[in-house]
Amino acid sequence: MNHWLIAPIVIPLIGGFLQVFVGYAPLSLRRTLGLVTTGLLLVSAFFLLMLADDGSYRVYAFGNWAPPFGIVLVLDRLSALMVFVTALLGLFCHLYSLGRTDVGSRQFHALFLFQLMGLNIAFLTGDLFNLFVAFEVLLIASYGLLLHGDGTKRTVPGFHYVVLNLIGSAMFLIAVGMIYSVTGTLNMADLAVTIPTLAEDNLPLVKAGGMILLVVFALKAALLPLTFWLPKAYASATAPVAALFAVMTKVGVYAIIRVYTLIFGEDAGALAHLGMDWVFPLALLTMVLGVVGMIGSGGLRTLVAWQVVVSVGTILAAFSLLNEAGLSSALFYMVHTTWVAAGLFLVVDMIAAQRGSAGDQIITAPRMPNRTFISVMFMLGAVAAAGLPPLSGFFAKLLIMNAATPGVDMAALWSVILLAGFMSLVAYSRAGSIVFWRNVQGHIENPEKLTFPHTVGAGALIALSIAIVVVAGPLSEYTDATAEQLRDTSAYTSILEAKMVGEDES
Amino acid sequence: MEITFALIIGSLTFAGVYLVLRARTFPVVVGLTLLSYGVNLFLFSTGRLVTGGQPIIGSTENYSDPLPQALVLTAIVIGFAMTAFVVVLALRSKADTGDDHVDGTRRTDLPDEATIDQPREETGQ
Amino acid sequence: MTLSLVVLLPFLGAIAAPLFAQAGRTAIAIASSVPALLALATLFPMWSTLAEGGTVVQTLEWLPQLGINLSFRLDGLSLMFALLILVIGLLIILYARYYLKPQENVGKFYAMLLCFKGSMLGIVLSSNLLLMMVFWELTSLTSFLLISFWNQKQDARRGARMALAITGGGGLALLAGILLIGRIVGSFELDDVLAAGDQIKAHALYPYALTLVLLGAFTKSAQFPFHFWLPHAMQAPTPVSAYLHSATMVKAGIFLMARLYPALAGTEQWFYMVTFTGMVTLLIGAYVALFKHDLKGLLAHSTVSHLGLITLLLGMGTELAAVAALFHIINHATFKASLFMAAGIIDHETGSRDMRQINGLWKYMPHTATLAMVAAASMAGVPLLNGFLSKEMFFAEALSLNLPGIWAWIPPIVATLAGIFAVAYSARFIHDVFFNGAPRNLPIFPPHEPPRYMKIPVEILVVACVLVGLFPAFSVGPLLYAAASATLGGQVPDYGLAVWHGFNLPLMMSFAAFIGGLVMYHYRQKFFDFHDRFREIDEKAVFEAAVSWLVDRARTLTVVLENGSLQRYAMLLVVSAVVVAIVPLAGMNLIGSNGLTPIDAPTAVGAAILIFCTFATVYIRRERLTSLIMLSVVGLFVSLTFARLSAPDLAMTQISVEVVTIVLLMLALFYLPSWTPSEGSTARHTRDLVIAGVAGLGMAAVTLAMLTSPFSSISDYFIEHSKPGGGGTNVVNVILVDFRGFDTLGEITVLAIAALGIYAMLRGRELQAPPTDGLGHPWALDAHPTMLRQMSRPLLPLALMVSVYIFLRGHNLPGGGFIAGLITAIALLIQYIASGDNWTQARVNVRYHNILALGLFFATVAGAGSLVFDYPFLTSTFTYLKWPVVGKFEVASALVFDLGVYLTVVGATLLALVSLGKLTPAGRPMTRTEAREES
Repeated sequence: MNHWLIAPIVIPLIGGFLQVFVGYAPLSLRRTLGLVTTGLLLVSAFFLLMLADDGSYRVYAFGNWAPPFGIVLVLDRLSALMVFVTALLGLFCHLYSLGRTDVGSRQFHALFLFQLMGLNIAFLTGDLFNLFVAFEVLLIASYGLLLHGDGTKRTVPGFHYVVLNLIGSAMFLIAVGMIYSVTGTLNMADLAVTIPTLAEDNLPLVKAGGMILLVVFALKAALLPLTFWLPKAYASATAPVAALFAVMTKVGVYAIIRVYTLIFGEDAGALAHLGMDWVFPLALLTMVLGVVGMIGSGGLRTLVAWQVVVSVGTILAAFSLLNEAGLSSALFYMVHTTWVAAGLFLVVDMIAAQRGSAGDQIITAPRMPNRTFISVMFMLGAVAAAGLPPLSGFFAKLLIMNAATPGVDMAALWSVILLAGFMSLVAYSRAGSIVFWRNVQGHIENPEKLTFPHTVGAGALIALSIAIVVVAGPLSEYTDATAEQLRDTSAYTSILEAKMVGEDES
Repeated sequence: MEITFALIIGSLTFAGVYLVLRARTFPVVVGLTLLSYGVNLFLFSTGRLVTGGQPIIGSTENYSDPLPQALVLTAIVIGFAMTAFVVVLALRSKADTGDDHVDGTRRTDLPDEATIDQPREETGQ
Repeated sequence: MTLSLVVLLPFLGAIAAPLFAQAGRTAIAIASSVPALLALATLFPMWSTLAEGGTVVQTLEWLPQLGINLSFRLDGLSLMFALLILVIGLLIILYARYYLKPQENVGKFYAMLLCFKGSMLGIVLSSNLLLMMVFWELTSLTSFLLISFWNQKQDARRGARMALAITGGGGLALLAGILLIGRIVGSFELDDVLAAGDQIKAHALYPYALTLVLLGAFTKSAQFPFHFWLPHAMQAPTPVSAYLHSATMVKAGIFLMARLYPALAGTEQWFYMVTFTGMVTLLIGAYVALFKHDLKGLLAHSTVSHLGLITLLLGMGTELAAVAALFHIINHATFKASLFMAAGIIDHETGSRDMRQINGLWKYMPHTATLAMVAAASMAGVPLLNGFLSKEMFFAEALSLNLPGIWAWIPPIVATLAGIFAVAYSARFIHDVFFNGAPRNLPIFPPHEPPRYMKIPVEILVVACVLVGLFPAFSVGPLLYAAASATLGGQVPDYGLAVWHGFNLPLMMSFAAFIGGLVMYHYRQKFFDFHDRFREIDEKAVFEAAVSWLVDRARTLTVVLENGSLQRYAMLLVVSAVVVAIVPLAGMNLIGSNGLTPIDAPTAVGAAILIFCTFATVYIRRERLTSLIMLSVVGLFVSLTFARLSAPDLAMTQISVEVVTIVLLMLALFYLPSWTPSEGSTARHTRDLVIAGVAGLGMAAVTLAMLTSPFSSISDYFIEHSKPGGGGTNVVNVILVDFRGFDTLGEITVLAIAALGIYAMLRGRELQAPPTDGLGHPWALDAHPTMLRQMSRPLLPLALMVSVYIFLRGHNLPGGGFIAGLITAIALLIQYIASGDNWTQARVNVRYHNILALGLFFATVAGAGSLVFDYPFLTSTFTYLKWPVVGKFEVASALVFDLGVYLTVVGATLLALVSLGKLTPAGRPMTRTEAREES
C-alpha cells in the first residue's frame, strides 16, 4: 500500500494542529510553518499526479481493513487532478493571505489548512459516508474562513451559507441512509457493484436517495435553483478565502462527476445516468443567470462571484452531455476556471486596495496608482474568463463546443456558451474601462503598496491561464484519459479485490 | 412498532423543516436541532429496529446492526459541532446587525458593499 | 518554421520596443520597424514559389484533439495582404514618430501597434481556421487598446468598447461558423476546407455556416448594418486610424471572404447576402461621407463605402469581379492610408479637423496639399490614378451582372450613384480644405508644413497611387495575378490591366459620375440643408444607452431573484429535494414484505410523549424558553429511543450532547429576545406548513417502507472481527476507533475546527444582554449563588472519576472517549456556571486551544504509529497486560486514539462555550439602573 495517498490529508492535518499550538507565537513563525505546509502539500499532490497518470487505481485501506468494510482512499486520475489543482490554488491563495488577511485572527492559518485537508479527503475517499465527513470538515472550515476578517458585512451571508449547508448535510445523511438501507454498504465501489443487481421493488428508495444526493451536490456546486447563496457570500469573503472558494463549488461538481459516473453511471442498469436529464437544462439556465448577474453587478467582487456561477454551469452542461469528449472538456474547463476565477478574486482585491473609499465598486474614482501591473492582470484574467483567445478559456470552450453532438442540445449549448462569452465580454470591458480609465480629479488616501505576496499570488494564478495554453496538448490528453478511465467502472470496482498488508499476493 | 417509529421521524422532520423556514434565528436553530434528531433516528433505523440486541459481543444472540449506530454517533458529534457554531453565529448576527432576523437588517445586504480589510493584529487572549 | 517566425516577430518586437521608450521616439520607432523589415526579408525568397501559383505551407502540431495546429500558409492572397500590412505598417511607424508627442506613452503605443500587426499577419498567414480565429479575436482586443489609447477621453473609451463589442461579438459568430465548417469537412486545415467547397455547399448546415461566417466578416469590415462602429473608432490617434481603417483591421473581413471564396462563394445565398449588403453599405457610406464636417469622419465613411464596394464585387461571384475586388483592396489601401495621414498632418498643424474651420490651407502647406489632392483624386477615381482603374473594372462588372429584367439596371445605377457621391466628397475634401477662402479661427494659426520626415510616408503612398495608375500591369500585375489565382483556386480569367480600354460604357459611367459629382458639390449647400432636416443619430450614445439599459435590467432581475432572503433559499432547497425524491417514491408500496411488529405499552407512551413534545416545540415556538424546554424533552426521549432499540452508546452520547446543547441554547436565549414576534403572512405560513407536511409524510413513508423490507448488510463482518481483529467487544466503539477510525478522525477535526471558528468569530465582539428576562423579571444580582457553588465543587472530582471509568471501559462496554470527554466538559462547565470564569480560569489554568490540538496530535500519532511497521494509517494493535491487583487487562493502540478523541472533545467544548460566556464584557447583564443610564 502506497503511503503517499494519505499525504495530502495528513500534511495539512499536522500543519493545522501545529498552527493551533503556535497560535500565540510570532506571526513570522506561523507564516513560515503555514507556507511550508502548503508547499509540502503541493509536492505530494504533484507526486500523486505523476503516480496516477499510469491509469491504474491505487487503494489505501485505513486500519488495513479490506473494502468494503474499512474506509479506503482511491487514487485515480480524476482525484489526483483535483488534489493537484487544489494544492496549487491553495499555495498561491495562502501566499496572498500573508499581510493584510492573516493578521486578522490567530486561527486563520489553521482554518485554511484544515480547509485543504477536508477538500483532499473529499477528492480521495472511496466511501460514501466518509465523503459526508469530508464535506463536514471542509464546510466547517469554510464557515470559519468565510466569517474571518473584520467588519460586519460577512455575518448575514455567512449565516445563510451555514444554515443552507446544514440543511444540505441533513439531506446528505438521509440520502446515505436510504441507499444503505437497501444496499447495506457504503463503499462506492461496492455500491457500484450492488446497485445494478437490485430487485425491482428496492429501486425507489435508492433512486430517491440518489436524487437527494444530487440536490446536495448541486447545492455545493451552486446549480440553479440553489445558486443564490453564492454571490454575496463570495463577494463578502476576504480575497484569499474567496479565491480558495473557487474550488469549493468544484467539490460539488467533483462529487457529481464521481457518483454519477461510478455509482449511477451507465452500467447502473435501471439507475443509469440518474437525474442527468435534469442537470443539462439547469446548467444552461445557471449560465444564463450567471451572465445576467455579471452584467448587473455593481462591484468587481460580485462580478467575479457571478463568473464562478457561470463556470459551474458550463462545467455541468459539458458533463451532462454524457460522452467522453464532454467529460474531458468539462475537466479541462474546470482546471482553467478554478485558477482564473481565483486569480481574478485576488486581482480585484488589489484593485480595491488601490482605490480608497471607492473600493471594488464599478464607479468613477480618482486615478489609481500602480495601474499598469494591476490593469494588465485584470485584462488577462478577463480575457481568459470570457473565453477569448489566446488564453485558456477559449480552448476550454472550444473543447466543450466540439464535444456536443449535432441536435437540439448542440444548438442550445453553442448559443448559450457564445452568448455568455459575448455578454461577459461586455461586462468586463465596461467594468474595466470604468475602473481603470474613467477617472475624476482628487487623490486617494494611503493606497496599498504592491507587496511581494500579493503580486506573486495573484500574478501566478493569472499566469497559469497562459501555462494551460502552452501545455494544452498534454493537459487535454490527461483529461481525455481521465474521462476514459471514469467510463470504465469495472476497473474501479476491481479495488474490492485489493490485497491488504500481510495477505499473501497469491 | 414500525408505524410508531415512522410517525416519530415524520413529525420530527415536519417540525424541523417548518421551523427552519421561519424568519428568526432562534427558531431556525431549534428547527435544525429537531431536523438532526429526525435524521439521526432515521439513519439509525436503516439497520432496522432490534430489541435487546446491543452490539456488544457476548451480551446477546441477535445483534443489532452496529454500523448505522457508529455512523449516527459520528453524525451526532458533527451535528453538535454544527449546532454550536450556528448558535454562536446567530449571536454574532445579533451583535452585528442589532436584530435576530435571519436576513439581518437592511444595511448589511446592500448589493455591493465595497470593503478592504484593514490589517489589525489581534491582542492576546 | 519561417512563416511562424514572420507572425512571431512583431510580438517579440512588442515586448522589446517599450525598452527603447527611454531612448526617445526615434530610437523606439527604429526598434519597432525591425520586425517588419526582418519579416519582409523572410518573405522575399518565397516569391519565386508563389510566382508560378505555388503555395508554402508549414505545419507544427499543437492540439490535435481540437484540430488546432500551428500551420501557416503563404500564397498570392496572403502575400498581398502581408505586404500591405508590413509596408504600410512601416510607414505608419515612421509617421507616428512625428505624430505622437514626447510626453505620451510611446512605448505602450508601439507595443500595441506591433501586437496588432502580429495578429493581422496571423490572420492572413494562418492555414488553420481555428488558429486564424485566435488571431482574429486578438485583432479585436489589440484594436480595442489602440482605439482607446487616449483613454482619458470618454469618446475614445466608448468608441473602443463599441468596436470591441461589435467585432468581438462577430468573432464569436464566426467561431461558430468555422466550427460548423469543421464539422462538415472534418478538418480545419485550409487546404482541406478549400478543396471541399462542393461538399460544404451541398451540406444541410451550409446556410447556417455561411450566415455565421458572413456575420463575422461583415462586423469586422463594417458592413451595413454593423458599419457604425468604424467612424467612432476615429477617436484613435490618426496613425492608428490610418493603419486599422485603410489597410488592415477592416480588410480582415474582406480577406476572410476572399480566403473562403472557393469554399463558400458561388451559391444563390452567397450572391444575395453579400451583394445586397455590399450595395447598401456602398451607398450609405458614400452618402453620409458627403455631410461629415469632420475630416476623419468623411474619410471614415468613405472607407465604409469602399469596403461596401469590395464586398459587392466579391458577392457578384464572377472571376473578373473577384479580381477587381482584389485590385481595389490594394488601391484603396494606398490612397486611403495617405489621405488619413494627410488629415492627421492637418489636424496636427491646425489643431482642428472641422472643414468649416480649415479652409484655404493651400497658402500655408502647398506640399501637403498637393499630396492630399492627388490621393483624393485617386479616391474619386480620376483617370491615370489607381483608383480609376479598379473603379472602371467595378463599373464593367456592375454592367455585366445579368439579373432578370428590370433588376439588371439596379447595379449600374447604384454604382454610378455611389460614384457621384464619391466624386462629391472627394471634391469637398480638396476644395473645402485647401481653397474656399481663408481659415476661420483655427486653434493653431498660422499652420505650417509638418516636419520633413512626417511627409515621407504620404509621399511614398501617393507615388504608389500614380505608379499603379500609369503602369498597372508593370507595378502590381504579378502580385495581383498571384492573389487572384490563390483566391479563385487556379482558374484566373484574362483581364486587361490597361489604362485605356477605349470609349465604352464604363467610361461613360465614370464621366457621368464626374459631372454629377461636381454639380452635386457645387450645390452642396442645398444638400446640406436637406440633410440637416434629419436628426443625426449618434450610434455611440445609442450603444451606451443599450448597455446601460441592459445593466439596469440585469440588476433589477438579479435583485428580484437573489433577494437575500434565507427563507426563500431554504424553501427552494427543501422543495427541490422533496420534488426530486417524490417522483421515484410515488409508486412505492408502504409496507414491505417483512410486515409489522407489535409495540409494547411503555414504548407507545414514550413515542406519544416524543411526538407531542415535538409538535409542542413548534406550536409554542414564540415563547422561546418554553419551546426550548420542550426541545430538551424531545432530546431526552430520542436518547431513550436509542436505549430502547439496543443502542446504548448512542443513548449515552445523545444525552450528554443534549445537556451541552441545551446549556448552549440557554446561553443564547440569554442574549436573544425571549419572544418571537409574529410575522409573515398566513399564506407564507400555510405554504411552509404544506412543504413541511409533505417532507414529514415523505420521510415517514420512506421509514415505514424501509423498516418493513428485508435487509442484509456488511455488518456481520464487524461483529465477527470486532474481538479477534479489533480487540474490543463493544462493536460500535471498535468501528469508531478502528474499522472506521478515519471517520472519527474527521469527526474530531470538525469539532476542533468548530471550536476554533467559534472562538475566532466572537473575537472582539461584545453583546449586551437585555436588562430583564423575557417575562420582564430583572436578573438575579447574585451571579454565582452560594448553594450552587458549594454543591458544584465536590461534583468535579466525582465527574472526572466517572469520565475516566467511562473512557477506559469504552472499548468493551458502552462508553468511550467521546462520552467521557463530554462528561468532563460538563463537569467543568458547571464550575464556570457556578463560580464564574475568573474563578475557574484561575484554577483550570490551561489554554483550551492546546488541549484540542493535543487531542488531534494523539489521534494522529496513534494512527501514524502503524506506518513504522509499514501498516496503513490507523492500523490498531493490542495486547494484554497482567498487573497486580488490577489483574489482566487489555491495552489497545486504539486507546491512544480514543484518548485523542477525549482531549479534543474536552478542549473543543470548553473553548467554544467559555468564549461564548465571555461575550458580555461584565460577564453579567445590565441591571435596570444601568439600562436606564444606557438609554
